[in-house]
Amino acid sequence: MLTRKQLWRAARDALLYVSLCTVTFIVCFPLIWALSTSLKPKSEIFATPPTLVPRTLTFENYEALLTGRQQYYHSGPQTAPSGPTPAQFFTRWFVNSVIVTAGSTLISIVISTLAAYSLTRFRYWGRSVVPYFSLLGYMVPSIIFVFPLFLMMVRLELTDSLWSLIFGYVSITLPFCMWLMWAFMRSIPIEIEEAALIDGASRYQVFRQVVLPTALPGIIAASIFAMIVSWNDYLFGRVFINSLDNLTLTVGVMLFFEGTHVDWGLLMAASVLMTVPMAILFMALQRHLVAGFGAGAVKG
Amino acid sequence: MRRLHALLSSDRAVGLLFIAPFVVTAIVFMVYPVVEAIRMAFYSYNPLRPDLSAFVGIANFEFLFSDPLFWDSLWQATVWTLLSILFQTILGVGIAMLLHRALFGMAFFRGLLLFPYIVPTVVIALIWRWIFNPEIGVVNYSLLASGIIREPVYWLSTPTMAMASTIMLNVWKYTPFVVICVLARLQTVPLELYDAAKVDGAGFIRRFIDVTLPQLREVLIVVIVFRTIWTFNKFEEIYLLTKGGPGTSTFNLAVYSFEQSMASLRLGVGAATGVVMMIMLLIGSIVYLRITKFGEEVR
Amino acid sequence: MEVRLERINKRFGAVQILKDIDLVFPSRKFVTLLGPSGCGKTTLLRMIAGLEDITAGKIWFGERVVNELAPRDRNIAMVFQSYALYPQMTVRRNLGYGLRVRGTPVSEIDTAVERVARILEIDHLLERKPAQLSGGQRQRVALGRAMVRKPDIFLMDEPLSNLDAKLRVTMRGELRRFHLDLNATTIYVTHDQLEAMTMSDLIAVMHHGVVQQYGTPAEIYSKPANLFVAGFIGSPPMNFLEGEISNRRFLVGDGSLPLPALQVEANAQKAVLGVRPQDLSRAPAAGQDTITGTISLVELLGSEKLVEVQLQNRKRMSIQLRADAFVEMGALFHLRFDPQRLHLFDKESGNIIPASN
Repeated sequence: MLTRKQLWRAARDALLYVSLCTVTFIVCFPLIWALSTSLKPKSEIFATPPTLVPRTLTFENYEALLTGRQQYYHSGPQTAPSGPTPAQFFTRWFVNSVIVTAGSTLISIVISTLAAYSLTRFRYWGRSVVPYFSLLGYMVPSIIFVFPLFLMMVRLELTDSLWSLIFGYVSITLPFCMWLMWAFMRSIPIEIEEAALIDGASRYQVFRQVVLPTALPGIIAASIFAMIVSWNDYLFGRVFINSLDNLTLTVGVMLFFEGTHVDWGLLMAASVLMTVPMAILFMALQRHLVAGFGAGAVKG
Repeated sequence: MRRLHALLSSDRAVGLLFIAPFVVTAIVFMVYPVVEAIRMAFYSYNPLRPDLSAFVGIANFEFLFSDPLFWDSLWQATVWTLLSILFQTILGVGIAMLLHRALFGMAFFRGLLLFPYIVPTVVIALIWRWIFNPEIGVVNYSLLASGIIREPVYWLSTPTMAMASTIMLNVWKYTPFVVICVLARLQTVPLELYDAAKVDGAGFIRRFIDVTLPQLREVLIVVIVFRTIWTFNKFEEIYLLTKGGPGTSTFNLAVYSFEQSMASLRLGVGAATGVVMMIMLLIGSIVYLRITKFGEEVR
Repeated sequence: MEVRLERINKRFGAVQILKDIDLVFPSRKFVTLLGPSGCGKTTLLRMIAGLEDITAGKIWFGERVVNELAPRDRNIAMVFQSYALYPQMTVRRNLGYGLRVRGTPVSEIDTAVERVARILEIDHLLERKPAQLSGGQRQRVALGRAMVRKPDIFLMDEPLSNLDAKLRVTMRGELRRFHLDLNATTIYVTHDQLEAMTMSDLIAVMHHGVVQQYGTPAEIYSKPANLFVAGFIGSPPMNFLEGEISNRRFLVGDGSLPLPALQVEANAQKAVLGVRPQDLSRAPAAGQDTITGTISLVELLGSEKLVEVQLQNRKRMSIQLRADAFVEMGALFHLRFDPQRLHLFDKESGNIIPASN
């Protein structure tokens, strides 16, 4: 038997779920729609009424992107492309994105972990200002220093190379990796290390065997943020790179708009493929991501 | 080898050795570009003819302040920022309150609702252009079919709607940030406070006003200030969706700076805009430090 | 107002927190729910407050079943373990909050707040915020908040556990005085038996979601109903010896002790004998009512000496002696048992085996 209170509570919970589902649907709809479009054949993409679940499922868009096959409208000879098409470069750009993301994240994490350890465990002049200086650095929008950095790359003769992007992304990810690692290291009790030192371990051993394992959650959180920032960046790729071969995904995919026809199916497939790596990362490490947010270190 | 070992066992040396890579990288890739950006603001600089670079004093700023587009950009950035933050905060607190329930399946909803934050801006912009397409987009189709509108809405090609669309994109992408921050704080509100309020006779709304909101005050200030600073200087969210258009109706300072540097090749003017942005940023930071009484509640 | 619990049950999913609780809290009495953490005492209190659902059973306030009433409609007041003061409000606003929410006129609120503040001697703190108060002051504000509304029932959830030891002793006396002034039924939750013994009119000892014994502090101390109550109440804790009842004697290891007459005579029954350290004495030589062991530990408590005696079966017994008693580590010690001060429990059920009077 249900009391009035229980009935009221059930009604409240139901309302809560309904509103949650609505909000979730609205939030996820753009992504769902993109996925749906990418799996439809050309004819169905423009169908009225539009279908949420494709009537005919096709992977031709994905195939075109991953194999680099030219896949264009078959309606007439005038649409046949003359030069190289963006789809041909897709896998190449994907690899480029992976390289610059991995490279810059690795560098940022190594540097910031070492620095955070140093700042929280040793005493020297300036140790207390560095993290705040770093925080300030991470509030400066990249549009301000992208051109000076570009001119520097010109002088170093690194323009149009993946190296320029790796360094560029280090400059935007390092400040908040530093801040996050510092906040994290500070919260690790120093007693464990002191115990290890007393037990006869060297500083280096303490760092490798005691500090690194304890700092791992922080390292993971910082890595996720660094990867998201590097993977999602458009500005640096746009300014630093000018050959098709060295573009990253974000800049490259925007080129799909250059032609007279916009191939929405292809474009949505590209969007989905660009999101997938981050989505996997996100789902696998969601717990750490939230922890990172908690530390107050988010670039966005 | 032995010397290396000796070095590593000396505390001071290890400390300095570990911080050194950061200091070097920070100077080369962070400090130098910013200093250089400030220097460039006082120079004329054409990347095609670097040899013609010359000191021009405050000419770049004079150019800036006499350019109506600069003032338009400033105003549009302000509108864009304020509306974005307003909606993000209201929606963020609302969604966080919804998620802050120990109901079955919350982790699932939480995961999905935070998703937009990690989606590349490029992808969001592309999807936006697709679903908000006036002729073939699903949004217009649904609105027309349900009778809410009679004519297709030109989401990206009329000034007002373009502004609205960029705001929507921004709100969609960054509300999760507010949600996470508020949710984290909500979880630390002592439950006994709610119990005490119930015993004192406070209803649902009073509990929200007298218990929840005061507890959220700090985190909301931090979130709003940080989000304001970042939103004001956003580049990709606008540029990728509208390129600042139609016309210049969605220009903000970042887009203005980019266009000056990239399209007009006036790097000096672009840098001067950057300096103006930095000054605004500084003001924002000072406001933040004032409000939080620096150091008193370092988060 | 009398509070009556009728077969109260509480389940969280499959876990049974409270089982068939029947209790009557007489009007204007100070009743303590005492038990170790996790025994369900706080849950029970929260159910009385209306903060927790009742799985089954009824709660009566006087003649009225309050199961469905919201906390605000029960005319109760509660003091929380963490005090739960509203951090953004001044002491004055904290005290007056319950009245303000109910739409009491401002002038009345002011009078009530000032009256309570005077009683609790916190009138000089009215404009401060909780963060600027010491632990003891916060405690008083929390009490004051509960007193302002003249509640019928006063609920307290371990209100002293966050105070330091010295302040706790002072506050015990004060709480008792406030209770007498307030004229309300007080239900007090604690795990500290000393608090329960010193303050309460009645104590309900709880364990595993069941009321083990309900009675006055004296009853609970001198006539524990089962092994749990016997072991939980009293400091230092009661000594227990396992053995067998045989011919009005208690066989333990290689010795035996005389027993009082039992209501139901038992033979060859496995039993546990309990005796408080204060009820043991020292015999000059071994005899009919003694067991011998060696002194293994001596603790000076100030006015008393606590001596630990190790028996031959390695079992340790503690005995409380006067501080000037002469004891020497390792020396033989003859423990004398007074048959009138023994407690016998059934080994299987743990329940008391009552002696005949």
